[in-house]
Amino acid sequence: MKNRRTKVVVRHLPPTLSQSTLLEQVDSRFAGRYNWFTFRPGKTSLRHQSYSRAYIDFRNTEDVIEFAEFFDGHVFVNEKGTQFKTIVEYAPSQRVPKHWSKKDAR
Amino acid sequence: PERSARVSKVRPPLHQYIRKLLFSDLDKSSIEHVLRQLRKLPWSECEAYLLKCFMKVHRGKYGQIHLIASLTAGLSRYHDDFAVAVVDEVLEEIRVGLELNDFGMQQRRIAHMRFLGELYNYELVDSSVIFDTLYLILVFGHETSEQDVLDPPEDCFRIRMVVTLLETCGHYFDRGSSKRKLDRFLIHFQRYILNKGVLPLDIEFDLQDLFAELRPNMMRYASIEEVNAALVDLEEHERIVNVEKANNEKHSDSEKIPSRTTSGMSVN
Repeated sequence: MKNRRTKVVVRHLPPTLSQSTLLEQVDSRFAGRYNWFTFRPGKTSLRHQSYSRAYIDFRNTEDVIEFAEFFDGHVFVNEKGTQFKTIVEYAPSQRVPKHWSKKDAR
Repeated sequence: PERSARVSKVRPPLHQYIRKLLFSDLDKSSIEHVLRQLRKLPWSECEAYLLKCFMKVHRGKYGQIHLIASLTAGLSRYHDDFAVAVVDEVLEEIRVGLELNDFGMQQRRIAHMRFLGELYNYELVDSSVIFDTLYLILVFGHETSEQDVLDPPEDCFRIRMVVTLLETCGHYFDRGSSKRKLDRFLIHFQRYILNKGVLPLDIEFDLQDLFAELRPNMMRYASIEEVNAALVDLEEHERIVNVEKANNEKHSDSEKIPSRTTSGMSVN
């Protein structure tokens, strides 16, 4: 059961990281190997800082392993030299949007 | 003193409208209407803001959190990606809460536990997500150098989190494998509780209510030794069941193979 999981969450990404920068890095090795990708940008304000995050649903369980070997612990450095150590985990909920999500006629 | 007046936040009209729908209009009788209005929104423009507002369940009334879960379910028919995002976001909030253990976030964290339970009740998450979350709460940060910050001995907040989630959806775990999973979890939970030592009375009463509600006949262990012994028994029992299961599978396999050869031989 457990090894059928294909959806991962990539956590603790730099707050200012952009979706396109991350996608470039992911696609350099994993292009075409995932069905679904979504990005949640982080935020930096005086009071709060939140990391950026991404969810990826891979086609194969083997790709998950390879992705984790590549990205888990990967260190991103932002413009100010701060280091961010990426965490890759199975997403706690494995639900992924259905592709045939119908158009809302209202 | 020279000081500029505090500038109040000016929100775009669309955001104001979303907030009005969710934070003031929404109640049991208006939910159909609110759902229809939400469906009419320009989604590409405001989906991110809507997600942000859905995460503010602690702003509304505690007893209305199920309405937000119900809206999520209603929207999932047309915007499945939104419902998926809501679930992912709540689980992330719960995780971040454990990572920071910030006192100021407690009310919000309790609201998120309730929200997750309601999302289970509306079938947007399955029971494995609930149990994974429950166990995560018991063990996160334990046996690390941060344990005293993340879950100090006198801190009972995680007990409140577990109680809130199980109060919300625990009554559904009353048969089959989810019943067994809850029985098992409650023993682990009892060990966690006993490790806390003497509990504040309000927490103890909440626990008594929870056990009375979910498992009135379950034994409350009096000492760590007793609960550890119960866990050893449980593991031994699970091991035997697994071995039997494996044997049965092997057995049925080994039955199939010779029968195939015999039939093959009878043809010869």
